[in-house]
Amino acid sequence: MNEKDIEALKTENKRLRAEIGDLKTVTNQYLQNVAHQLTAPLGAIKWSIEALRDERVPLSRKSKLLSSIYSQATILVHLIKNFALMSNLEADHELGQFREKPEPIAVVNLAINLANDFQPQARDVEIKVVVDNDSFQRAFGAKRLSIEKNLVAQAMSNILENAVKYADPGSTITVSARADDKDVGITIENTGISISDEEKNQLFKRGYRGAAAMQKVAAGTGIGLYLASRVMAFHGGRIDVETRAKLSRFSLMFPRGRLQ
Amino acid sequence: MKAKTHIILFVDDEPVSTEPLRLLLEAKGFECVSRTDMSSAMTFLRCNPVSVLVTDIMMPSGDQFPGMDSSETGFHFVYKVRDEFPDVSIVCLSVIGDQSKIQKLKKRGTLYLRKGETPLDTAARLIESKATGVISY
Repeated sequence: MNEKDIEALKTENKRLRAEIGDLKTVTNQYLQNVAHQLTAPLGAIKWSIEALRDERVPLSRKSKLLSSIYSQATILVHLIKNFALMSNLEADHELGQFREKPEPIAVVNLAINLANDFQPQARDVEIKVVVDNDSFQRAFGAKRLSIEKNLVAQAMSNILENAVKYADPGSTITVSARADDKDVGITIENTGISISDEEKNQLFKRGYRGAAAMQKVAAGTGIGLYLASRVMAFHGGRIDVETRAKLSRFSLMFPRGRLQ
Repeated sequence: MKAKTHIILFVDDEPVSTEPLRLLLEAKGFECVSRTDMSSAMTFLRCNPVSVLVTDIMMPSGDQFPGMDSSETGFHFVYKVRDEFPDVSIVCLSVIGDQSKIQKLKKRGTLYLRKGETPLDTAARLIESKATGVISY
């Protein structure tokens, strides 16, 4: 080995060390973010329970605290599922617990169940979540969609959670079905923040959060849409994004071949 | 009687997390007001006699302070309030664990409470003491 080779090895060594350093920083930031995301709802639950027990807090205000406990717990379950799905994806364990066989699912029921899950969270900020039943009838009729239910439910939850998080108070989020010659799917529409064309291309990158999103809600993991797009890719599908001013429409589209 | 005159301003982009504290302080007779970003909080401070400010760290800066890193907005906010309203007591209520940053806040006379760790009743008593100078039992 001559001096030139040694010099090249030293340079390579330096580069790798810097790369490991960067990776450590990213991992630390991610863990801090995870800790923040978990601590905030747990803290809210603890305080709500303490307030419920406190005789000085009027009874008339306590039902809202119960609803808040439920919505914060829903947020936690959702977050933990996302973290588990994320670690499975990173570890390339073929999705571990999330891997299942596709089964025929009545999509309207899935939409209604998920919309119900997010109702308490939405009510906290005076937002309505409605499911357009007729559109499901038109798009799916009596047909079912062959999908991996837990994965798709998680993908759809991620979109719905964003819709609730970024919607204007007092607005309505609509969950509907859509279909064309090649694809069929579910659309979630809300009014809240503007997404620029430039941002649209970045939305599905891991850890990315748009400027307007960060201005509306400071904390977030930036993995929800990334995971949703990975789930759709497993199904041979995609996520379409349409925006107009503060209106956003996210559609989870599946190939028609999955209809049964 | 005494507490009715005190306004406590809460600034948190997720107000649901401070709601139990607001309810308890309201039960004690304080007037609690909630804002979700630095800009609207500054506007409120400029127009109202606030006794105690209870603020998060990670929050949006709002339209008056564009381009601020939302993970650190609270620090800028605390420094600004310290300069503009030296008589307002400040309590930081956040989940950040960076001790060097927390020490900087404390050096400026800010009380730091960590979300999820301080019991509700203790937090309410501490804020009450900041507002009135006494703690009720």
